[in-house]
Amino acid sequence: MALPLFLLSPALALLVGIVAYPIGRAVWLSFHRLEILQPDLTRFVGLEHYQALLQDPVIRIALQNSVVWVVGVVVFQFLGGLVGAIILNRRFPGRAVVRGLALIPWATPSVLVALMWTWMLDGNYGLLNDLLVKAGILSRFQPWLAQPWSALPAVILADVWQGIPFFAVMLLAALQAIPEDLFEAAKIDGASAWRVFCHVTLPLLLPTILITTMLRMIWTANYMDLIMIMTGGGPGYSSLTVPLHAYYTAYKRLDFGYGATIAIVQVVILAAAIVLYLRQLRANEGMVQ
Amino acid sequence: MLRFCRIGRLGACLGVLAVLLIAGSAPEPLHAQAPTLVRYWLWLDDPTEPMFDQLVKEFNATHPTIKVEYQLVPLSEYHDKLVTALAAGAGPDAGRFKDWWLGEFVKLNGLEPMANSVAKWPGRGDVIENLWNTGKITAAGPVYMLPHQFITFYLYYRRDWFAQAGLKPPATFEDFLAAARKLTDPAKNQYGFGLRGGAGGQDQWLAFMVAGGARMVDTQGKVIINSPEAVKVNQWYIELFRAHKVAPPSAPTDAYAQVLGAFQSGNTAMMAHHVGSSVLVTQKLGAANVGVLPIPAADPAKPATMATMSGNVVFAASKQKEAAFTFISWLSENAPMDKWSGSRQGQLPVLKSVSRLPRYSENVFFKVSLDGANYAIAWPPLPGVGYVSAQAWQANMQRALLGQIGSKDMLDEIAKALQR
Amino acid sequence: MTRRPVRRAWAALKLWVPLGAWLTFVLAPYAWMFITSIKPPNELYTKAVRYWPGQPTFEGYRLLLETTPFLTYMRNSGIVAVSTCAVALVVATAAAYCFSRIPFRGKGVMLFGFLVTQLFPSVLLVLPLFLIMRSLGILNTPPALILAHSTFAVPFSTWMLTGFFNAIPRELDEAATIDGCTRLQTFRYVLLPLSAPGVAAALTYIFIYSWNEFIYALTFTADLRARTLPVGLQTFMGEFIIRWDLLTAGGVITALPIVFFFMLVQRQLIAGLTAGAVKG
Repeated sequence: MALPLFLLSPALALLVGIVAYPIGRAVWLSFHRLEILQPDLTRFVGLEHYQALLQDPVIRIALQNSVVWVVGVVVFQFLGGLVGAIILNRRFPGRAVVRGLALIPWATPSVLVALMWTWMLDGNYGLLNDLLVKAGILSRFQPWLAQPWSALPAVILADVWQGIPFFAVMLLAALQAIPEDLFEAAKIDGASAWRVFCHVTLPLLLPTILITTMLRMIWTANYMDLIMIMTGGGPGYSSLTVPLHAYYTAYKRLDFGYGATIAIVQVVILAAAIVLYLRQLRANEGMVQ
Repeated sequence: MLRFCRIGRLGACLGVLAVLLIAGSAPEPLHAQAPTLVRYWLWLDDPTEPMFDQLVKEFNATHPTIKVEYQLVPLSEYHDKLVTALAAGAGPDAGRFKDWWLGEFVKLNGLEPMANSVAKWPGRGDVIENLWNTGKITAAGPVYMLPHQFITFYLYYRRDWFAQAGLKPPATFEDFLAAARKLTDPAKNQYGFGLRGGAGGQDQWLAFMVAGGARMVDTQGKVIINSPEAVKVNQWYIELFRAHKVAPPSAPTDAYAQVLGAFQSGNTAMMAHHVGSSVLVTQKLGAANVGVLPIPAADPAKPATMATMSGNVVFAASKQKEAAFTFISWLSENAPMDKWSGSRQGQLPVLKSVSRLPRYSENVFFKVSLDGANYAIAWPPLPGVGYVSAQAWQANMQRALLGQIGSKDMLDEIAKALQR
Repeated sequence: MTRRPVRRAWAALKLWVPLGAWLTFVLAPYAWMFITSIKPPNELYTKAVRYWPGQPTFEGYRLLLETTPFLTYMRNSGIVAVSTCAVALVVATAAAYCFSRIPFRGKGVMLFGFLVTQLFPSVLLVLPLFLIMRSLGILNTPPALILAHSTFAVPFSTWMLTGFFNAIPRELDEAATIDGCTRLQTFRYVLLPLSAPGVAAALTYIFIYSWNEFIYALTFTADLRARTLPVGLQTFMGEFIIRWDLLTAGGVITALPIVFFFMLVQRQLIAGLTAGAVKG
């Protein structure tokens, strides 16, 4: 027990020392009405905030949007990243440069990702509209960010763009770790590229895929920079996600207690999803013994 | 072995680099603390302009007992960062402030009432009289925010397009709608009015609301924004988009950048804004093509528009209130105010003496704005205004523009949010 | 005889067409940002979309470097990102090794616990974190951000590295042990080299996260002593003036060190490393 403790202690010190208090405080807050500048007046309200959840018409919309957001973003980021990783794993002149360039979306600060996509999606002078109209796909400019049905997908598109290199890098690293002899062997056996991919590559990538998608899901669930700038959760509540709702409630309505409660709803749901996911992972032998 | 060395070397390099960088950036030792330190926060429109830095240097040079240190915070994050810092007991002594947040912060006991200091301040007589109200909760109560820079909304219009179409600049709601309809041509991606349904659009909306005769609160301070008259004006505003379609389809989420961009690119014929954009608009479209008008009114005999004040406050938790007030009141004195208002981020000066200077009184944009100051109405100092202007208005306006709720529902929601 | 060039052309097509398509999607918005950054202000808003400026100008870049503290922001971002990498990587590698190779009780719970710390939106943790930073006396210094970023980077990279370590067959460890290697030597000479791609990936992840993190950087810094790039860029968005020239030029430049960093890292750690190592 000594060795694990020694190896884990820095990480534990960091997490317990720095993160435990904020999280504990968030849980504590959800049972209190906080007077932000007069802490002495803060009072215990029991389950009041949790009861308020039941009457909050917005939380249901936000939950739905969050599910669409997380699933949409992670699925397409993953697919785009997988394709990228496979391409970048091939040998071609200038590969190092291309690999570096491939990181650009991820390396661009969120505020600029949001501004550039807002600009490109603009309904009056946007690049995307212009291209689609010129290509004859659209007859008229579409206000992508102002229509309830397209606002969330438009922000998802921007985030997919930003996140593809994440998966590309992670999967590329995993591909690199696969011994080339395996491919050689499969090729000698006369397997088609598709069969090699399905029966050799994919199973070997699976552990990495499972872990990175889970980490990305957690990250995406709480990521709201793009939504905040591109739509502010609108039009109406069309692209309002749970953390954004929690943020508005806490910082704009100055109701920190209820804001924390909203966040806790998401924490519980995510935690449940992770437990299920980890079981699956364990069933897939080997990631967590 | 070799492999490890590579990684080990990289790690060692990272470590050494980190140590060097941190050592190199260690803060310099502080000087002997003779003068009183005043920490001041503000946002600026364009941080590349040295105007404010020069003002602080000038103040520090002329006030040897006080040393002002300032922190620049982006406006979009200003309110939140202020809340966090004040809640942690690490807020600034004084700061730039919006009337949107006044009711909220006074309710939280976050702001210092300044009645006594103001009474002793020699500049007080020079402030345009009715602007004092933007810094108070009740007319008879103390001042919490010292007026500094303000704006009133007016209407930009494309003079060239109006001349071409044989239209007269609109003075009434009917003229406005007629002109907007005539100048709308979706096939050419051209619309009559750049309606702002996205972030920050509440000020533009409120300008039309009050010009239509609606009021936020009555003389007793009771919220009447969901009164039948207000519902009617709001309905008219919503129909600009829904029924008459004189605003671009993107209007529900268009924020300042989009509305300004559409006007600059020639996608819209009219835009409601204020002096803050006058330089950008004229630079792009040419001074001859841009006209400026008071916000049209439902009844031309009763003009109205909306005003927003950026003032300065002293925070209740400050231990240097006197010195803090000395600084913020100095900012509202003649020469510093002229320097600010005349800069790229200039808004209307609140001093009568400054507004009479030719650079303002002879500038058509400033002139229309200053005329508007006589009948302009500001947000009432209710605790919920901060929330309304940050989210509640936007969400409910958008729902109304999309037809998800009606005019009355929208205003009920806003009335509820105002009174939180 | 004629089949060879055809096949070679076909192979090239199979490589370059997907690569081109993928790169176009990945690079187009950045390219658009670059084009925007060299447009003079009066060409920014035009009814007909302009694909290339009539009079390209690098004025935005000049103003950015000469009239704004952009390079100071960049230096601060560099300090924070590099330090976070150093701290988080050491801490996470130790933890990941432990999770991957040493059986002990409560491992599953602890791994799960690492993740639970990441489930809250950071915007709601900012206020209590602010109190901690203040009591440590490190507000407005790089260590505040290094610490805050590490709390995020450590759990994530621990998980990633655990995954990469697990992917390495345990038989290799056992073989090394039989050869007389200590635990530390096994880690040094077997595990670490083999998981080099994973370490590089985790490093990249931490670096980019720290380089672009916004909300902690905004809240825990006050001025040029510690303010980082994302916050600095945000100040170019004023209330009524949006400095597109500075913003886009800043965005273009901000991405470049990361591109450079990754070219370096991938060359150092990834290229052609694994095949030989496994055989050896």
